[in-house]
Order: sequence, then structure tokens, then C-alpha cells
Amino acid sequence: MNSRVVFLAEVAIMSALSIILGLISFRGLWAQGGSVSLEMIPIFLMAFRRGLKGGLLTGLVVGLLQLLLNPIAGAHPVSILLDYPLAFMAAGFAGLFSVAPNATTKQRTKSIVFGIFFGSLLRLVCHYISGVVFFGSYAPDNMNPYIYSLLYNISYMIPVAMITLITFLFLTNTAPKILHGSNKGVSSAA
Amino acid sequence: MLENVIIGQYVPGRSILHRLDPRSKLISVFLFVFIVFLANNWVTYGLLGLFTAVAIVVSQVPLRFLYKGLRPILIIVLFTFALHIFMTKGGALLFQFGWLKIYEQGVVQGSFISFRLIFLVLVTSLLTLTTTPIDITDGLEQLLGPLKRIKLPVHEFALMMSIALRFIPTLLKETEKIMKAQMARGVEFTSGPIKERIKAFIPLLVPLFISSFKRAEELALAMEARGYRGGEGRTKLRILKWGMGDSILIAVLLILTISLFLLRS
Repeated sequence: MNSRVVFLAEVAIMSALSIILGLISFRGLWAQGGSVSLEMIPIFLMAFRRGLKGGLLTGLVVGLLQLLLNPIAGAHPVSILLDYPLAFMAAGFAGLFSVAPNATTKQRTKSIVFGIFFGSLLRLVCHYISGVVFFGSYAPDNMNPYIYSLLYNISYMIPVAMITLITFLFLTNTAPKILHGSNKGVSSAA
Repeated sequence: MLENVIIGQYVPGRSILHRLDPRSKLISVFLFVFIVFLANNWVTYGLLGLFTAVAIVVSQVPLRFLYKGLRPILIIVLFTFALHIFMTKGGALLFQFGWLKIYEQGVVQGSFISFRLIFLVLVTSLLTLTTTPIDITDGLEQLLGPLKRIKLPVHEFALMMSIALRFIPTLLKETEKIMKAQMARGVEFTSGPIKERIKAFIPLLVPLFISSFKRAEELALAMEARGYRGGEGRTKLRILKWGMGDSILIAVLLILTISLFLLRS
């Protein structure tokens, strides 16, 4: 079978799954501002499974779908771009750290920790710049948007990254073939 | 946990705005989010308000749907309004209470910024309220078509979006089914310490991922069997039609842009 079409279908289905997992959130814990949900998991999964290209594409599709389906921050053109397509795509850079399916447990753990840290950091940077632009254009001139934006965005990014990281550390043991890809195709992995 | 969720915001209808070509709506909204920043006095904000109001009336979308879109940013609007009132100084002193001083400039600036936010959110929500996600995707594909020349995979990208949109309801049902099956086995998704709750999601995620990847493989197989060979020469079931209304909408936007340039101070 043409592997390009399979790749395309995987990106599409995983993006859909990300939208659904985005509905499952731990709202009870972070009541105000930024929801902490599982939507990052499919993006990181594709990044680890299919490498950089898989991660970036899935992130981009997820970001645009989020923008189409639940836009809340249609408040500034630059922040629309940064908060949706670019932020989620940035998370896909975790794909830089993907490892071969036959890597040792230690290598896999390392790739997961670095990948999720790096992806989350880049996503944070996007939201941070967006916050600065947004706040800078709406707040009075004598306010400092830099610290406010950083604090606000860190407040939900750290829990999101932690939850995603813990999930992946569980997943790498229970379902290594899904997570790190398998050249034998999916049916055998399942 | 997932019962009764509504994904997307589309409100079905037969209004003029609903029937417009998604391309003209996309271009207009794109233009609008930039020209909003041109306004800087009462006349220009009045024009933007008039445009927004007319668009809302024409769309025939019930106001409660618009309010739902506006609600998340109302706090931001109030917050920025308050910031401006107390921190922007200039103009006549309107009100004084101890150290609290409210200046004319603060009220004016605060209202302008609030209006800007509200107009932006209303107009962008009107797009998603009157256009189905799939139509927006089709429109985007067409508008970004020229980028194919520089080897950007616009078609593949639009296809992935469409597949994702098509499969969201299917996967939602699947997720619900697996969740219920695991809950019947005693898994707690909504209570307990955080680490236990994350752990509880593993028996949900693994079957979900396996079935999703299987679905992707089957889909790819089905596409191949039907001769899918990429975007070159592919035809469409529904073809977008650019009508008179679309040209009028673009013309209105252009007139609005020019007026804003002329009337801003």
C-alpha cells in the first residue's frame, strides 16, 4: 500500500482524536484560565511515531481545526495565528527527538522527556509572544505585558506538559509499537 | 463525561450570509481583522459597528449563539476597560473619589478598545456560525490554491482537514464506548488523585489509538482502491460558486476599508 496515503490518513485521524481528547479536561484543578486537557497527546504521538514531519503536520491540522471549531481568542490577527496553527505546530518539533522502534527503554524515555519538554517549550513561546502582542495592543501603555503573559501561560503549560509526560511514560511501556512506530504496519502493531 | 458535547459552532440556516461562497466570507473576515485596527475615533468605530450590526441582522443567527461566542472574552473586555479607565490619564477629570481619578481620555480609550475586541469576536464568530467547517476548508483550499506552484501541499492539507472533520463524530462515539466499557470494569475517570486519574486514561488511550490507526489504514486502503492519486486532476462533488452576493460583500468591505482610511484621525 502507498505509504504516503497511510501517512495522510494517520495525520487526519490523529488530529480528529486530538480535538476529542481536548474535550476531556481536568477542569476541577485549574478552574480559571487555560484548560488542562489531553489534546497534546496525539500530536506528540505522531511526532514520536512518524518523526518531525508527522508531528508538525498533525500539529498544524489540529491548530486549524481548533480555530475552525472552538475559536475563543479572535482578538488580534497576530495572536490568532500564534495561538492556533503555530502553537500546535510548534509542539510537533518533539519529532526531532523520535527514536527507532527497537531503541532501549532508556533511549525511549530520554526521547520522550526531551521531546515533550522541547515541544511544550516551543508552544509556550508561541502563546507567550501572542500574549505580549495581545496585551500590548489592548492594555494601557504603562503596563508591562511581558511578565503577565509569561506567568499566565506558564500556569497552564506546566501542568499540561506534566500530564502529557506522565501519560507517555506509561504508554512507552504498555504500547511501545504504537508510540515509536513499526515498519511492519499497524495491524501487526495492534 | 462526553455526553451532549457539541463540536463546532455552525448554526444551520438559509440566510444570505449562509448562502454566500465561503471564499468571499473568508476574504472579508481576513480583511476585517486588519482594518479594525484602523479605527481611532467615534466615526470610524461607528462605521465598524454598523457593519457588524448589519452582518448580524442579515445572518439571522439567534443572538444567544453570538452571546455564547462573546462570553469567554467578556471578562477580558471588562478587565481592559477597567485598566484603561483607571490608568489612562488625559482630558477632563470626570470623577474623583480619594486617590481614584477617572479622566475623559480613559473612558474614551477604554470604550474604543472594548468595541474593537467585541467587533473582532462577533465578526469572526459570524464566519464559523454561518459556514460549515467543511465549507471553510474547501474555501481555504481554493484560496490557497496558487501556493501549489511553490510546492506547498495545499490539496493534501485540505484533504486531511476534511477527513479529520468527517471522523470527529465517529471517533467521539468510539471514545465514549471505550470509556463506558472501562468504567464498567471499575475505572474512575473523574475522581481520585491526579496521578491515578492519568493512569486511568491509559486503558482508554491504548485501545483508542489502536483502533484509530487501524481505521487510518483501512481508510488509506479504501482510498487506494478507489484510485486516489493525489490532488492532480481530482474533481469535486460540490463545486463552490461565486455569485453576485459575494462580489457585493467584497465591494462593501473595500468601501469600508477606504472610508476608514479617509475618516480616521
